[in-house]
Amino acid sequence: MGAITLGRMTPYVFLAPAAAFMIVGLLYPIGYMVYASFLDWNPSQRIGEAEWIGLRNYVNLLQDDAFRESMFVTLKFASIVVSLEMLLGVGLALLLDREIRGVAVLRTIFILPMMIAPIVVGLMWRYMYHPTVGIFNRTLEDWGFQPIPWLSDANWALTSVIIADVWQWTPFIFILALAALQSLPRSALEAARIDGASAWQQIIYVKLPLMMPVLIVTALLRLIDAFKVLEVILVMTNGGPGLSTEILALRVYRTASEFRELGVAAAMSNYLLMLLLVLTVAMFIYNKVTEARAARLRQMAEKG
Amino acid sequence: MLKRTTQVAVTAGAMVLAAGTAIADPYEPYRGQTLVANFPAHPHYTAVMQVLSDFTEETGIEVEVDLLQYLKMREKQTLELTKNSGDYDLIAYVVFSKADYVYADQLENLAKYFMNPRLADPDYDAEDLIDGYVGNIGIAGGEKGYLPGPTGSLFGIPFGSETSILGYRKDIFDKHDLKVPETYDELLELACLIPELEPGMGGLASRAASGHHASHAFLLHLAPLGGRIFDENWEPIVNNEAGVAAAEALKTFVDCGPEGAQTFGFAEAGASFLQGQTAMFLDSTVFAGQVNDPEKSKVVGLVEWAPHPMGVRRGSQTGGFGIAIPKNAENKEAAFLLMQWLTSKHADKLIALAGGNPSRYSTHADAEVNKVYPHMATFGEALEYADPDWRPIIPVWGKINADLGTALSKVLTEDLDIQEALDGVAERTRAVMDEAGYYTWQ
Repeated sequence: MGAITLGRMTPYVFLAPAAAFMIVGLLYPIGYMVYASFLDWNPSQRIGEAEWIGLRNYVNLLQDDAFRESMFVTLKFASIVVSLEMLLGVGLALLLDREIRGVAVLRTIFILPMMIAPIVVGLMWRYMYHPTVGIFNRTLEDWGFQPIPWLSDANWALTSVIIADVWQWTPFIFILALAALQSLPRSALEAARIDGASAWQQIIYVKLPLMMPVLIVTALLRLIDAFKVLEVILVMTNGGPGLSTEILALRVYRTASEFRELGVAAAMSNYLLMLLLVLTVAMFIYNKVTEARAARLRQMAEKG
Repeated sequence: MLKRTTQVAVTAGAMVLAAGTAIADPYEPYRGQTLVANFPAHPHYTAVMQVLSDFTEETGIEVEVDLLQYLKMREKQTLELTKNSGDYDLIAYVVFSKADYVYADQLENLAKYFMNPRLADPDYDAEDLIDGYVGNIGIAGGEKGYLPGPTGSLFGIPFGSETSILGYRKDIFDKHDLKVPETYDELLELACLIPELEPGMGGLASRAASGHHASHAFLLHLAPLGGRIFDENWEPIVNNEAGVAAAEALKTFVDCGPEGAQTFGFAEAGASFLQGQTAMFLDSTVFAGQVNDPEKSKVVGLVEWAPHPMGVRRGSQTGGFGIAIPKNAENKEAAFLLMQWLTSKHADKLIALAGGNPSRYSTHADAEVNKVYPHMATFGEALEYADPDWRPIIPVWGKINADLGTALSKVLTEDLDIQEALDGVAERTRAVMDEAGYYTWQ
């Protein structure tokens, strides 16, 4: 009897350490944040001294114009950067997936931006965008064009920030896409070639669909990251001019450090978390649906 | 034998003498203690580091300093002060932390130290400390809660404090025979005249970047132009005539300023003046130390200083740092001795000579100091008009400040109407104040 119970218990015993780590390392901080979001808590208080205010932080945030604007900026920023980076990254991968001399060096150079510390990237771009001594405006002036107010105009500032982010993170998509390309089944590509598919047809009908699962995960990772980008924007514009580049992560940071409202900051992070969760689940469902469809098609093909 | 006796007597006499001095040494009980101070990385504290060894030599009290960038310092302190037993015996704090720390009861009230005859130096001369600074940084609990008044008391002493001052390019002013502006009308006129006289040069270097910088620049003009953020009943009046005039002044300075001024922070505004791209500079005195440093400045020897011009009244900013003893400090009495020593006439002068910002009138007037830093006397004059209430020091100020700064940035970069922008700020500010309970008694 005892032995049987022990036998049944074995898997749980082995799982226990992992579960404990999960609870301590993951659930506890998230639970702490969720709890904090119901408090009116400033950093000079201990958490126990903070007042419980229920959902007030969440309700107030929904009516807060600055929060809504920053949510909108975040969505705009994330969708534009991720689309651009996917387009460029996958494009580059398709171009460089071949045996050219020195391609290894080229690939390494391409992924360099990703390895630079974000603060440095921010500073670098800030100086390049500098209205008078920056390289962009000096070049423009040399060529006889009007200088552009890169960071001092509300419309340009977001564009400038997007350019910097695309520069830094396209390589990430590029290496993942390249890895996906190189692990594609050669047989499928060969079959396509034998059937006389053109280069474009190979890309659109064979390579991209086969890469899709990897690309979706890549896009999701980038999207999650784009929602949380902080340092580069902090250094480049600090959210300005106005609120034109104040993405949510920056707003959370300012709420916690400048406004000293830890509860509100926690509630904001939870909104961000919920948004990301919705996106992840949507991606997951989309993935499942396409997989199911592919399986159905395969079954039909096998039957036929 | 006789010789030996004499020797013994001499030794004994020396010992008695030594013991005598030891009794007269108020630092004796604390000799050998080690204090931990938390200071910001800031020109004043760089100067302080140079004189700290004098303190140790004089008193036998060791001092360790944890030097942090000032925003980091504030974050670290916030956590440190909530602990049961803190690591710091003495902290430097930014002026708006006064509201947070005092409200959370985290700083020692200094009365009991100044009452203690064993600790308080009778020659300290507190009258000599600059009033505006003491009111702004040191005292809380009086008028409006954050200012001096019958119910107020002292929690800190100004140390590394700043006021606003006008720097101008003597060579440019002489070349075009311009008069140093004394009023805002003159300043505004000059700011836009200079780019015409000297193509490519901005009139006045001002900060304007979204958030704290824009708000700071606006507040600099608000007090002299007769405005305030709140009236006596905490109703926001930032959108009244004076507020609009201050915002208009800011917009004029930025529009007639150097290229890209819309995104200038303090550093960029300063750099544009140091690089010779701007003819005037109106901001904190802390900047003055760099002007004649050939490594940072292209305008060495070309800059002179004048008091912050007057609008309908005089009112220059007050800000910077103070020092205080945390409630959870371990060596409070020794910390007080260090604090008293650092802000004494003697050390204030030493620090000023090493390039710091003095907190005393006497140091500003000191001949020796003025020989090294000729602008010190002008700064001393300006300090008489230092306005301790040029910006509210209340816990919710951070949020209002950010909102004000954002709205002003929109005025500067998106051509948002000034009245509309300030009306919005006033409305949101009222909501923040309401939630914080400022209208409970109305």
